Amino acid sequence: MGVNVPEDLRYTSGHEWARLEGGRVRVGITDYAQDALGDIVYIGLPAPGATATAGESLCELESTKSVSDVYAPVDGTVVEVNSELVDAPQRVNEDPYGEGWICVIDPVSPDALQSLLDPEAYRGLIEA
Amino acid sequence: MVAFGGWEMPLEYGPGTVAEHLACRHHCVVFDVSHLGTVRVVGEGAYQVLQHALSNDLAKIGPGRAQYTHLLDDDGSVADDLIVWWVAEERFDVMPNASNTSRALAALGGRDVTAERAVLAVQGPEARAVVAKVCPPAAEVPRFSVRVVDWGGTQVVVAGTGYTGEDGLELAVPVAGPGRGGAPAPTAGAASRPAEGAGGPAAELWDALLGAGALPAGLGARDTLRLEAGLPLHGHELGPGITPLEAGLSWVVAWDKPGGFRGRDALVARRHAREQAPGRALRGIVGEGRQPLRSGYPVLVGGTAIGELTSGNFSPVLGRGIGMAFVPADVAPGTAVQVEARGRRLAGRVVKLPFVKR
Repeated sequence: MGVNVPEDLRYTSGHEWARLEGGRVRVGITDYAQDALGDIVYIGLPAPGATATAGESLCELESTKSVSDVYAPVDGTVVEVNSELVDAPQRVNEDPYGEGWICVIDPVSPDALQSLLDPEAYRGLIEA
Repeated sequence: MVAFGGWEMPLEYGPGTVAEHLACRHHCVVFDVSHLGTVRVVGEGAYQVLQHALSNDLAKIGPGRAQYTHLLDDDGSVADDLIVWWVAEERFDVMPNASNTSRALAALGGRDVTAERAVLAVQGPEARAVVAKVCPPAAEVPRFSVRVVDWGGTQVVVAGTGYTGEDGLELAVPVAGPGRGGAPAPTAGAASRPAEGAGGPAAELWDALLGAGALPAGLGARDTLRLEAGLPLHGHELGPGITPLEAGLSWVVAWDKPGGFRGRDALVARRHAREQAPGRALRGIVGEGRQPLRSGYPVLVGGTAIGELTSGNFSPVLGRGIGMAFVPADVAPGTAVQVEARGRRLAGRVVKLPFVKR
């Protein structure tokens, strides 16, 4: 019901999104995920330079309800983090695909996104 | 919706827990707290039954007043914490925690009338103004007083009580029976009521309160609000092995009440033991950052564990993680502590409760 799944992104089954930007991959969590988590009140951002391993925890988000891991969608190196979220983690709720982005990964493989879900497949996953 | 004490309850409504929390601190919210039990004890002997079963002293109040009190086990542990609504000379509506209703019933006798009424808790600095638009006499009920008021032909029991640290009123309204009539069909409804209750006076009152400006609030905000207010939750800060003394609630114990009360002997022994060695005390822990503190996290001083959190979350008012813990009574407010959050140590300090004062 009204969950936003933009056409220009790729997705993981763990509800992260990935956007290819000039060879790098911007990462966040989906609209579906932010809605399920509820009010996000804290984010433990990854450190710039940290190694990202696809399918392994990249960082943690906490809502008033629970603690959740954000999993790396691709292998690579974290090159940028959204430090605005430290004091304003609610941006992940307000604008999950925009100002609520979490980090940018320099991927090991340029084809890294090929193995992720396309919008149709992700929509199928959350509607199942 | 989440399962809670045998009820299906909304964790939050549309705006989310933080917005609902702040609305209660600054404006007005309404909670459907029908899950709380109501055990009605009536008759000539009712007063004595309650006096013997419960730790506080009804002689300090009178008909038309409400009192916070404890039901103790024989070992002095808090079997339940409850509010007594002394509705009329020989009628007491006792409000236990949802999961402890049968325990209260066993201790007090009386009749479980939980299914017959809904309870709506209107809380916040604007609660009285909102209630005044719906039912003016209810808005006049003072703090910790109880009145039966007429709401268009429906009798509503109103108490100046709550669980948020704010001013507010709790309204017990029949689920069944004729509505006021002429009102539009209920939309939201009191969410935790069984379906057959929809459309009765309770649902009409819920809709009227929303119409008057109350924001609906769920179990999530109820918990963060009571936590900021330093109020204990049974099963966390109260329960087996915890007496009112550890919880800092010795004011609910009427030591010298004629005839005594259940658990008194064990509690006296515990008091004497604490005079020799202070034991543990309930304290607040405030984190330095926003990361929510959570129930079960160990609390350390200088690397040594001194206790663990019994409750914790994010404080929307302070913008920090907060929690409560039983720590050695000589750990003074101001003491620097570390809270171990899934392998990482967060800096914090000990504070006196409550975290947020009205």
